[in-house]
Amino acid sequence: MNNEKRLYVHPGPVRVWHWVNALGFVILILTGFQIRFADILNIMPLQDAITIHNYVGFTLIGNYFIWLIYYLSTGKIKIYILDVRTLVPMAIKQMLYYGYGIFRGDENPHHMTPDNKFNALQQQAYAAIMLIFLPAQMLSGVFLWKVKGYSDYIHLLGGIKTIDTIHVILFFFFGSFVMIHCYLATLGHTPLAHFKAMFTGYEDH
Amino acid sequence: MKKMTRLTKCYGLFFLFLCFLWPSAGLAIENSECMDCHSDESLTKECTDNILQTSITESLYVDEDKFNHSVHNINGITCIDCHTDIEELNWDEELPHKMYLEPVVCTTCHEEEGEAYKKSVHMEILKKGITMRCYACHGYHYVEYSETATVAERGNNYCLKCHNPYQYHEWLPAKEAHFSMVECVVCHSPEVPNKIHLNFIDLVSNKLYTSNEILDALGVDYDEFMPLLDTNKDGIINSSELENLALMLRLKNIHAVFHVELLAELLPIAHEVKRGTAEQDCVKCHSANSTYFDSVSILMTRDDGTIDRYEVDRAVLESYNLSHFYLMSGTRVKLLDKIGFLLLAGGACGALGHLTIRIFTIPIRRKRKTDKK
Ligand code: HEC
Ligand code: HEC
Ligand code: HEC
Ligand code: HEC
Ligand code: HEC
Ligand code: HEC
Ligand code: HEC
Ligand code: HEM
Repeated sequence: MNNEKRLYVHPGPVRVWHWVNALGFVILILTGFQIRFADILNIMPLQDAITIHNYVGFTLIGNYFIWLIYYLSTGKIKIYILDVRTLVPMAIKQMLYYGYGIFRGDENPHHMTPDNKFNALQQQAYAAIMLIFLPAQMLSGVFLWKVKGYSDYIHLLGGIKTIDTIHVILFFFFGSFVMIHCYLATLGHTPLAHFKAMFTGYEDH
Repeated sequence: MKKMTRLTKCYGLFFLFLCFLWPSAGLAIENSECMDCHSDESLTKECTDNILQTSITESLYVDEDKFNHSVHNINGITCIDCHTDIEELNWDEELPHKMYLEPVVCTTCHEEEGEAYKKSVHMEILKKGITMRCYACHGYHYVEYSETATVAERGNNYCLKCHNPYQYHEWLPAKEAHFSMVECVVCHSPEVPNKIHLNFIDLVSNKLYTSNEILDALGVDYDEFMPLLDTNKDGIINSSELENLALMLRLKNIHAVFHVELLAELLPIAHEVKRGTAEQDCVKCHSANSTYFDSVSILMTRDDGTIDRYEVDRAVLESYNLSHFYLMSGTRVKLLDKIGFLLLAGGACGALGHLTIRIFTIPIRRKRKTDKK
């Protein structure tokens, strides 16, 4: 591996999407806590929490389409598509690295290229998040926003409490994800390397 | 309410007393005598509208069937109990009573409601020269029992005659959900105690099942309903008993889910609608320990119109038995929070644990690096 090489891994639209999404997640999680635990928490009035949550929610939905359209139109979506043949061995290798090799200073078994920027674990996690969990979160959020307006769909899906269950379980999952995601981002060749890359677009090696 | 029932009895006794003392009191005017003329749909009178000052034709028809179903007829109140200035019918005249009758005063019998109503905004407008009588909301000849009435059938119907709630409440999210599940006076007369009713609804037709339909399906009588449900005999329907009920109904091909509403108790203070005092504190309802959930019940109407009220454990509000009711934050499923905190704790511990090991293993990596060189 050439140590001097700088790889352009995060094109402009992806960087914009990422930071809007990150900020949005944090706000949605904070206001989400306030909404769900209105009787326990007192960060802000419930009305405000709901209003902010709704606006930011819709911003994120718009933002999601920036991501989707970018990846579909450039064909880069394939970096999210799992290769079933190599998936399992690669994932095991990657797990061994994170659970053991990394502490010994072994080299990361995955080598980043613009066309293959995720390791097998990231690929699985991100594919699930971007193609299943986030859409489910957005859809359930929109249903909760107009409980009466969408009542027909809500009934079909088993009722408002069921929809809310999806929204809440995913909310906790995303909360957990954000913590782990931030931590994993410090595992670059320097602790801040990945963060910088998400601003400049270039990953140093 | 108790007072009214007593009052009904007094009327009855008084009537009996009269009959004994004075046989001709049997001549007290019967409803049917009035109906001789007033059952005629074409009976009208000309009068002048006092706002528009134009002449209008007013129908004098009284629908006897509907009147007979009214709460007043059921309680033995006759035409002349309300139209008190008709003391006798003079059959010699073409018009057997006075041409202009005094307006009926509801508060002669409903004193407490009258007192409470005096304190409301709707009496305040008397200063502006507008009189809003009791029957602006309730109507008069066809007042029905409203104990089992839904949000849409009661308060909201009264209020919606004159107010469009979407013009106000711009601070309230999910307006449609609130207006269809919370009776206006629950917020607007915040002192009135409230209750939660569970109704059986068919989601496909969006129709509520009547008590009879439910009982027919279960194949039981009114008196057998509670014993059938309440398997642990504590007089309260709990979550698993409710689940059984849903199961029994499903076996009879009734796919009913529970429709939940917040209603006002039928008490005089429901009338104290005042300006600027309505409930605006979301957390009064949207809170797990809200007092709004204290009284939860299922009502069954018997054929004779009387109503049985069955108490339901408030914990069912937080269960998936009521999967079509979620009062955000207030009726949240606590189990989800526990799962959630495990997820969050798992994420945090994973990251922190990994970080700790990374720090402790720095010497190993340093050593290997120097070894390599
Ligand atoms: C013989 C027929 C007849 C009978 C019996 C009769 N009414 Fe009338 N009633 C009329 C007519 C006709 C009018 C319309 C008078 C007018 O043109 O102003 C009227 C008007 C009224 C009005 C409206 C008065 C107003 O001020 O606008 C009331 C209330 C009323 N009747 C109640 C009763 C009651 C209660 C009874 C039984 C105790 C009764 N009537 C029996 C014929 C009858
Ligand atoms: C609960 C009290 C109550 C009872 C019982 C009652 N009325 Fe009335 N009635 C009223 C009120 C209130 C009005 C409205 C007019 C007013 O008095 O200002 C009215 C109006 C009327 C009118 C005028 C037309 C109209 O519909 O506005 C007629 C006719 C009449 N009543 C007949 C009867 C007859 C006949 C009976 C018995 C079958 C009867 N009422 C029983 C309260 C009552
Ligand atoms: C002669 C006495 C009397 C008059 C006058 C009277 N009512 Fe009643 N009203 C009763 C009785 C008795 C009941 C039944 C109370 C009970 O069930 O305990 C009742 C019940 C009611 C109820 C309760 C229904 C429910 O949901 O339980 C309403 C509403 C009502 N009346 C409205 C009116 C209105 C409006 C007027 C004036 C047009 C009026 N009443 C005039 C005697 C009267
Ligand atoms: C602004 C509309 C409005 C007006 C005007 C009004 N009511 Fe009511 N009334 C209600 C509401 C709302 C309830 C609560 C229960 C319900 O939703 O049916 C109620 C309940 C009642 C009840 C049954 C509960 C109880 O207290 O036993 C009676 C009786 C009653 N009203 C009588 C009257 C009388 C008498 C007047 C006139 C003094 C009057 N109402 C005026 C709206 C009104
Ligand atoms: C017959 C028409 C009518 C009905 C029915 C009616 N209202 Fe009103 N309401 C009025 C009028 C008229 C005013 C006075 C408006 C004003 O002062 O400008 C008013 C005022 C109010 C106000 C104060 C509004 C303000 O502008 O400050 C409230 C709150 C209110 N009503 C609630 C209710 C509720 C709740 C109900 C049902 C239980 C109801 N109203 C039923 C006519 C009605
Ligand atoms: C969640 C509680 C809630 C519900 C449900 C609700 N309101 Fe209100 N409403 C309020 C509050 C709070 C205000 C603000 C003014 C106040 O405090 O009176 C208000 C304001 C109003 C006003 C204007 C009063 C003013 O002072 O400007 C009217 C009229 C009114 N509501 C009618 C209704 C009617 C009709 C319904 C039923 C369809 C209804 N409301 C349901 C809480 C509620
Ligand atoms: C009188 C009780 C009451 C008050 C006060 C109240 N709500 Fe609600 N709220 C309800 C009920 C009942 C529902 C309908 C629950 C359902 O759809 O199953 C609801 C539904 C909602 C919803 C739709 C999501 C859901 O859970 O179904 C939102 C958002 C909401 N309320 C926000 C608020 C806010 C913000 C306030 C204060 C400004 C407020 N509510 C005040 C009773 C109340
Ligand atoms: C992806 C990040 C998101 C997170 C972490 C999140 C989190 C939460 C949480 C925790 C709640 C409280 C649930 C409860 O009370 O049980 C909530 C409620 C809500 N969310 Fe989201 N949400 C997200 C996205 C969205 C989106 C995209 C929308 C769309 C507009 C949305 C709309 C709503 C609404 C309207 C409510 C309140 C209604 C209710 O809880 O019944 N959310 N959200």
